[in-house]
Amino acid sequence: MAKTNVGKPKKRNLNRMAYLFVLPFVIVFLTFSVYPVFRTLYLSFTSYKGFGDAKWAGLANYIRVFKDKFFWKALGNTVKIWGVNIILQLGLAFLLTVIFSDIKYKIRGLSVFRAVYYLPNLIAATSVAFLFKTLLDWKYGSFNQLLLTLGVAKEQINWLGSTSTAPYVISVIGAWMWFGNSFIMLMAGVQGIPTDYFEAAAIDGAGRWKVFAQITIPLLRPIMLYVFVTSLIGGLQLFDLPFLMNGVAPNTAGEPSGCLQTAVMYLYKFGFETHQVGYASAIAYTLFFIILIVSIIQFKTLGREED
Amino acid sequence: MKLKKLISLMLAGAMVLSMTACGGSDGASSDSGAAADSGTASADAGDAGDAGAADETPASSGDKLVVWTLAKDLEQFAEYYKEKTGTEVETVVIEPANYVTKVQTALNGGQKEPDIIVGEPQMLEDFYEAGYFEDLNQAPYNAQDYADQIVDYVWDVGQDADGIQRAISYQITPAGIYYRRDIAQTVFGTDDPNEIGQLFADYPTIMETAQTLKDAGYRIFASDAEINYFSGDSAWVIDGVLNVDQGRKDYQDLCIYLYQDDLTAYANQWSTPWYQAMAGEVPILTADIQNYADDSVDVWDAEGFAEATKDLDKTEVFAFGLPSWGVLTMRDNVQGTSGKWGVCSGPAYGFGGGTFIGISSQSERKEQAWDFLKFCTLTEDTANWWIEKSEGDTVSLIPVLEAHAEDKNEVYGGQQLYKFWLEQAQGIDYSKVTRYDKFIGDEWGRATTAIKTGEMNKEEAWNNFYDQIEATYPEITVNR
Repeated sequence: MAKTNVGKPKKRNLNRMAYLFVLPFVIVFLTFSVYPVFRTLYLSFTSYKGFGDAKWAGLANYIRVFKDKFFWKALGNTVKIWGVNIILQLGLAFLLTVIFSDIKYKIRGLSVFRAVYYLPNLIAATSVAFLFKTLLDWKYGSFNQLLLTLGVAKEQINWLGSTSTAPYVISVIGAWMWFGNSFIMLMAGVQGIPTDYFEAAAIDGAGRWKVFAQITIPLLRPIMLYVFVTSLIGGLQLFDLPFLMNGVAPNTAGEPSGCLQTAVMYLYKFGFETHQVGYASAIAYTLFFIILIVSIIQFKTLGREED
Repeated sequence: MKLKKLISLMLAGAMVLSMTACGGSDGASSDSGAAADSGTASADAGDAGDAGAADETPASSGDKLVVWTLAKDLEQFAEYYKEKTGTEVETVVIEPANYVTKVQTALNGGQKEPDIIVGEPQMLEDFYEAGYFEDLNQAPYNAQDYADQIVDYVWDVGQDADGIQRAISYQITPAGIYYRRDIAQTVFGTDDPNEIGQLFADYPTIMETAQTLKDAGYRIFASDAEINYFSGDSAWVIDGVLNVDQGRKDYQDLCIYLYQDDLTAYANQWSTPWYQAMAGEVPILTADIQNYADDSVDVWDAEGFAEATKDLDKTEVFAFGLPSWGVLTMRDNVQGTSGKWGVCSGPAYGFGGGTFIGISSQSERKEQAWDFLKFCTLTEDTANWWIEKSEGDTVSLIPVLEAHAEDKNEVYGGQQLYKFWLEQAQGIDYSKVTRYDKFIGDEWGRATTAIKTGEMNKEEAWNNFYDQIEATYPEITVNR
């Protein structure tokens, strides 16, 4: 009895200490994560212009978003860029995963390859944009020179100046930047699958494709879902690459012909250029709900068999 | 155990302190190094989206007056103020793209600094509405006592919707046509500003002038944007309704004509060839280069430009359309053509820019700030000093402008520019300026570009223009 009496206060003290240790994080989290989320939600129902009182506007901003054809066009541009990007990104990541996870190949130096593939992800978007702007320069870019030398193209292609190529250029650059990340995720998933399954399949005479389709893919489903959802969230918030590639020279944001104007660039226009903070907040929340709905659909479809 | 508790308390305390430092500015100084030492600071770092970047600027300056400005001019004013009064002023020059956001962030956050904020005409209406500027009509300022000393339109720009004086500018910025006297003599047989002004009297006449100059081997303008400062005879928005008057349409037609008939040197404003055209011969670029469709010539790279264009035909440019501060731009670029220039009136009265100075309504050093504001805008000695220091900027103080009316500017063949600018300023009607001007003007420019390059026909470009206005400013009624 005496033992427990002595022990109890100590336990309480330890609990208090734990609260103190997590306090800095909680304060920062509440201030910089939770508060802005709710503040933005509140502002989305106001006509706040960045100064003065935030006058209540009800659903007016959301109705405006739904009627704003330029927002939907910007969202369409974003989906187009992201759609091509995710196919390339996941396709490449899967291909590498298949190669590196195949027990017959037994490729060495996985950690080296993993690091190399991940490297583009570490380069600042500004540098990537500058690098590809130089490579894809219409007249003197190395890429066009290469195509001309090889005879693949008869004349220079204006990669960033044409509506038929500019969005896909961004998709390809995005895929190059982020496939390493997807690859690491998928490889981690594959390494989590017990090797017994693969060995048993090999003994039973299953082919490489059968093993991939019947064992690897089903067991990777949770990881795939994670990669897909995080890519969707990042993809629909795309801003830096298209903005830096074509939005720096005067009055060229979103050019050519607005095909590179993404939903977040459109939000930026209202938040920081025309100072319609209320409307920009409504765009932000509309995007949030769109991402939420698509994510739920993904969970329902991809995660179904999991359940 | 006590040690653990102490460490955790210190960690929590440090976190709270650092967050407090982020939020407020009054109190202990947290100056960022060299900025505070020199009395000036620059917050012009690139990312326009960095809304929190105002925190990078010095948070507190002790007893020093803090000025946030778009114009570097105020650094020189601050130095002169220190020389005259011994009072130090800390000037923070902020990139124009970030300026409004930074001021909003600081003042909405209740910061007591800056003490002085500035604004350009198109941003002032929002600043007035936000209550950022102190009422200068009240005691001890009594700014209305100085009304007759400042050029009318500048005084009007500094007033809010209720007629309360909120800001004053030290300069006027009426627009004029800067032309080459030697070319005028050769082609038109005269270099008299009044007669040359007739060649720019209206848009059809400008088209004729352009053709005459091309036939003689010259180009009327370096770019097709030179008439922009004279492009509107009425406001873009009147009583909440979008107003695209005939003058705007004629201006658009002029730009298309100049472009499609190869009447300019295709040098974009502010690019390397545009500046070079002030000094003499420039290569005639192609329309694709002007549109950035062909980026084989980097018009922003002064060094590479000469090499890239050495095989192109050359021409000389006759005129530039710029506000009075163009005198300073020309001063730095005319080189061998100095003395061969003149200035005449354009097809309408216009003005461009101007730095308006006001006192932050949250400042705790308002009297000191008023002293600085008065020193910059309402003091004859300062205005005289600035004319000399800037080598030709045009001040807004009428007694000083009148005193310098007979001054001859040798870059312009001895023309009396102050007299000319004062006359032009008297014709300016500020009621035409609205908060929407920048956006609508840019969109009209995009529509013009789309038409002239053949990307859209006129109907498509206009419809897209109207759609953009409706989507961006639903409060504006658009009658197509």
